[in-house]
Amino acid sequence: MAWPPTPQELITVSAPSPGGAGGAYRAFGETLRGLKTTMARVFEGIHTIQYPEEKVPVYPRFRGRHRLHRFEDTGLEKCVGCSLCAAACPADCIRVVAAENTPEHRISAGERYAAVYEINLSRCIFCGYCEVACPFDAITMGQDYEMSDYSRSDLIFTKEMLLAEPLDRTPLRAEGE
Amino acid sequence: MSSISEYRAQEESITMAPLGEQIAEQGEEDRELMTLNIGPHHPATHGVLRLLVTLDGEVVRDLKPIIGYVHTGIEKTAEDKSYWKAIPVVERMDYLAYYFNAFAFCGATETLLGVEVPKRAQYLRVLHLELNRIMSHLVWLGTSALDLGAMSMFWYCFREREAVLDLFEMSSGQRMHTRYIQVGGVIEDIPAGFEERVRAFCAQMPTRVDQYNDLLDRNEIVLRRLRHVCPMGADELLALGVTGPLLRAAGNPWDLRKAMPYSSYEDFDFAIPVGTEGDNYDRFAVRLAEIKESVKIVEQCLDGLPEGPYITDDRKVALPPRHELATSMEALIHHFKLVTEGFRVPPGEVYYPIESPRGELGCFVRSDGSSKPARVHMRDPSFVNLQATAPMTKDAYLADLIATLAMLDPVLGGIDR
Repeated sequence: MAWPPTPQELITVSAPSPGGAGGAYRAFGETLRGLKTTMARVFEGIHTIQYPEEKVPVYPRFRGRHRLHRFEDTGLEKCVGCSLCAAACPADCIRVVAAENTPEHRISAGERYAAVYEINLSRCIFCGYCEVACPFDAITMGQDYEMSDYSRSDLIFTKEMLLAEPLDRTPLRAEGE
Repeated sequence: MSSISEYRAQEESITMAPLGEQIAEQGEEDRELMTLNIGPHHPATHGVLRLLVTLDGEVVRDLKPIIGYVHTGIEKTAEDKSYWKAIPVVERMDYLAYYFNAFAFCGATETLLGVEVPKRAQYLRVLHLELNRIMSHLVWLGTSALDLGAMSMFWYCFREREAVLDLFEMSSGQRMHTRYIQVGGVIEDIPAGFEERVRAFCAQMPTRVDQYNDLLDRNEIVLRRLRHVCPMGADELLALGVTGPLLRAAGNPWDLRKAMPYSSYEDFDFAIPVGTEGDNYDRFAVRLAEIKESVKIVEQCLDGLPEGPYITDDRKVALPPRHELATSMEALIHHFKLVTEGFRVPPGEVYYPIESPRGELGCFVRSDGSSKPARVHMRDPSFVNLQATAPMTKDAYLADLIATLAMLDPVLGGIDR
């Protein structure tokens, strides 16, 4: 392929000038063709959905609200407070304060745990870098996309809110759907 | 006198409506010029664009586009982020061409780094870029037809756009601002079942374009609104720096995908739609024909999709695969290093131009050797194209100004950045 392009590589668009005898034809003929096109769409069925009664299921890769995870067998938190998610966040919306685990007060599986873990969802841009950065799969992006709230302070999610099982508000797309 | 006040004096010396007195002097005192403010919040300006229009009756005598209402300072913000973290930020400039923004930035960074992008990643990039181009043109067509009074076009175009956004959600996890394109490749391979869906979309899209053509292409009202309206020759457009479909509508087939192929575009067989007159109709028809060409490229992408890695295996640039984190200490060290500090880019500067839906989108990146770019600048096509509005619409009707603005397809997020 070289420049300049050969005439075969070009498509020249053209149209007649409006008005004249052709214009008189087009005013009826082309309008009828357009109407036919529009009317034929009636038989295609409805493309809209009745949100919020009906919800669009999301794909597995969808990046919705964050979730923090626990180990299923021991119940310990996966997060070890390494702050890698906070370092990766382009919007600087994650705050992590780490503390030491003690034998009588064990929160996470590692040496340290996240004493404070906050995500400011009003700043989050849902790029999912926290999920990519986390070496322990402790934080993932869930499927919840309905996060609007009445005040900004309610959008700062604490560790307890992120660890809790989310309300099943938005469905996940089934295989092959 | 300090330089700041001199600058301020110069700024204040600019008058917003200078044409008023000049025309009134021509012996027609009864003709009154009116200065009309269109926008910033006006649906026909396709964003928050303010147009200060001097009207003689309903004929536009002078026009000043005033921009800056959605200035986000993204270029400056990117200087404070490592290259990896700048990608999702840069993506948000031109909000209808997010894959293009990310690709221009990543392409510039890769050129500075000298990183080889695997063939599969290049194809996956082209696949998403062309789907993005279709999506952007669909938004343009829907909103522009709405400006001309064709309501149903808006619904049709947004129906198809929904199908493209669905594909983006499936492959990249988000419908807009997907951060799919990364330095060195793409972040994830396409999921199972994606190819069939793209093929189904490609099979359907050309018939949809034919339907749009049935509705608009030869419609007498559309022809009267667009044909021979506000034409501009290729030479004048080039003098103003206008690129993309606007330039091609004037007969100059300048397309960076063919002229300076990047990301394996030389492998694909597609045609460049050109116009003859450079009027509003040609701008409309060129873009509509481009949708069909993009569909062809997407199909060729799927046919020739090579096997192999989807991101470079250079561990100094790309994150190691996730399964290695649990087993390899070296991978974990690289992962921590890349996430916290990012990779260092050798000093230098580069300009990386690509063909976005609106014209030449170039990303200039200057590196000082650290892990953050010293300067990021985007040559956004809508910004450059917008300056053609005033000469194009001189002595045209106000209604034609709206049509011309629609055919210019400015995206204000890209203009103000």
